[in-house]
Amino acid sequence: MKFQFATAFAAASALAFAAAGPAAAQAPFADVGKHPEISILINSSPWFSGFEKAVDLYEKQTGNKVKLDVTPYGGMLEKARNAVRAANSPYDILNLDALWTIEFYEGSFLKPFAEIDQGFALPAGVLTFEDSNYWNAQRRWRTRDGGQLMGYSPNGNIHVLYYRDDLLKQAGLQPPKTWDDVSAICQKLKNPPGMYGFVTRGEKGNPIRYDWTPFLQGAGGSIVKAPQDGDYTVTINSPQAKQALDKYIELQKNCAPPNVGVIGQGDVIQLLATGRAAQGLAVIAAWSTFDDRQKSAVVGKINTAVVPAFAGRNPGVAIGNWVFAVPKNVSAERQRGALAFSRWFLTAGAQRAYAEAGGIPVRSDTFASDLAAKPEFRWMKAYLDSQQFARQELGYAEGAQVEAVLGLRLNQALIGEMSSARALNTAAREIEEIFQRGGRRTGKLDALPE
Amino acid sequence: MKDDFLNRTFRHWSMWPCLAFLLVLSVYPVLQLVPMALSTIKITGEGTFWTYSPRRNLDLLLGDAVLRDAVVNTLVFVVLSVAIEMVLGFFAALFIACMPRGRNFARTVMILPILLPAVAIGSMWKLMFNYDFGLFNQMVGVIGLDPINWLGDTRWALLSVVIVDVWHWTPFVFLILFASIETLPQDVLEAGRVDGATAWQMISLIILPLLGPALAVAALFRAIVAFKAFDQVYLLTSGGPGTSTELLSLHLNRVFFEQNQLGYGAMLSLTIIAVIVATLAVGKWSASQIERKRMGQ
Repeated sequence: MKFQFATAFAAASALAFAAAGPAAAQAPFADVGKHPEISILINSSPWFSGFEKAVDLYEKQTGNKVKLDVTPYGGMLEKARNAVRAANSPYDILNLDALWTIEFYEGSFLKPFAEIDQGFALPAGVLTFEDSNYWNAQRRWRTRDGGQLMGYSPNGNIHVLYYRDDLLKQAGLQPPKTWDDVSAICQKLKNPPGMYGFVTRGEKGNPIRYDWTPFLQGAGGSIVKAPQDGDYTVTINSPQAKQALDKYIELQKNCAPPNVGVIGQGDVIQLLATGRAAQGLAVIAAWSTFDDRQKSAVVGKINTAVVPAFAGRNPGVAIGNWVFAVPKNVSAERQRGALAFSRWFLTAGAQRAYAEAGGIPVRSDTFASDLAAKPEFRWMKAYLDSQQFARQELGYAEGAQVEAVLGLRLNQALIGEMSSARALNTAAREIEEIFQRGGRRTGKLDALPE
Repeated sequence: MKDDFLNRTFRHWSMWPCLAFLLVLSVYPVLQLVPMALSTIKITGEGTFWTYSPRRNLDLLLGDAVLRDAVVNTLVFVVLSVAIEMVLGFFAALFIACMPRGRNFARTVMILPILLPAVAIGSMWKLMFNYDFGLFNQMVGVIGLDPINWLGDTRWALLSVVIVDVWHWTPFVFLILFASIETLPQDVLEAGRVDGATAWQMISLIILPLLGPALAVAALFRAIVAFKAFDQVYLLTSGGPGTSTELLSLHLNRVFFEQNQLGYGAMLSLTIIAVIVATLAVGKWSASQIERKRMGQ
């Protein structure tokens, strides 16, 4: 890490904390002692620069060194797998997409935090995103109920709705609360190709599966009936799921660019940041781009809202968080070093510094602090308001296979290769087969009329 | 006599270290796929557990709906891209070989695409295919047509991917054929000209037959590489929309790495190897039949 930058950042942080008032004063940084250098496998996602700056501050404050292996998303899983399958992991902390955690928890590749330090506990107010960082091996489920603490989230990615505040105000429109509002705003503001009314991902695979999930959850649908209780009856071909898919397709066809079937995260962010989309559904981690003068043509013009709902229902908010975990196959000394960093990173002071540097903190008191009132942190209210609706999906060993099925069938429905009912019926059949092969108690709903 | 025997024996035994390396590094990994393909493999922190389950993997193979599309797409991709590359590469080589000046410069410019990393090519072409501001749709707009959804429309996506592959790999064909054209026997060409052969007769009756071995090598190499195409397609479309650009290599990546199905992934790998070998064998057989007919005429 560059010394000059770290010094300047630490000084700036100290000034900020002096002015921050009681919240910061009550929760200083932790004194974690001296530890050997640790290595973190981290992805080069939009929130990385914030994390990098927080690491700079850690090094400056503690004198401990942290080496970051910054890797594109596509290479993360294999690097993590290779690390835990080797005799000694080159990484002391692995950043795992919550979807991948089951493989690592179930494979006993990770060290429960209590086995490193019995006294370790997450500070009050740390968001756990439906307990994605706990593992109950007996139930094969992520829950603190009988489960062990396996990690914590460095970034709690959830969906929010981004909208052009300036355009909505000019047109006398209120921020959307329902998908019908989104549709109405889209009709009023769209003027393609210069301005699209609404964008979200439609690319095959994880992108469409993840970005459609808020529609599914919001319509009251689900993929599986009650996996937490061992009931893997497939419910993806329910009328609610069809309603969710039809609404998603309707919005994409009427409001998004014509190439919806291949629109990925980079495209969504680019359309919003270049001022060519009035509304967009994307993860909160994208926020740092929109107020960055180097990357955005709409600085100060975008605001966030809780993901819209179907009329008369609660919104659906899909969690897509990451989990920091410590591999089993590193020395006890380095495991303690990893935990020391974690203890520091989860303090109120570090979380605040992380947020100020563009990261998405995971302590609820950071969102409730004076930061939230500042214009540059105007996203915080929507983020915190969303937490009560945020839900995990695919929290079982077959999650990756189920996602592959949904990622294809939803995409085929979006591009018109098959009807929404046929896509969901096909997916239900294929997902049921996956669970059957896994020896789960499964079944499926009656097919939707095609 | 004795020296000859010793020389032969030495030559024979001196090959063994190389052969051993070849067996360990090439053959063994392929053979290892066989037991993998017959098993379900689970890797955990306590060790790797193999369960013998050939029927399970076979059922997965036979019931894999995406695999059928991937096989068809791959065959279409290989045939189309290699055919176009062969034609373009041949005429580019012929044209540049006939240039009185600037051949070295032209050759250098020609081979630039194969020097670029696939990631750069994928990013560059993704921008050029962009629906709103891409170069292609700007050109289409100039001639008064509606923009084309190059990567997002199932009717165009595979063709778009083929276009990128042709741009990337035609220089490879060009290089092989250019080198061969430069070594063609001048007396034969001269005799053709003296006999009053037209340009087309020169190409079809003299140059093409003389280039036969080079054409075969270029086509074979290109077909093998085209079967394994992955990086550009992954960057451009990730196999979508739908399954329109799903190639075998992409599907295998999904099964093996994203879904962590090692046993089924191994069975899929063996199937892909079989498809490649069968296709190349059919191609070779067809070429030999054509050659036999030609010789018989």
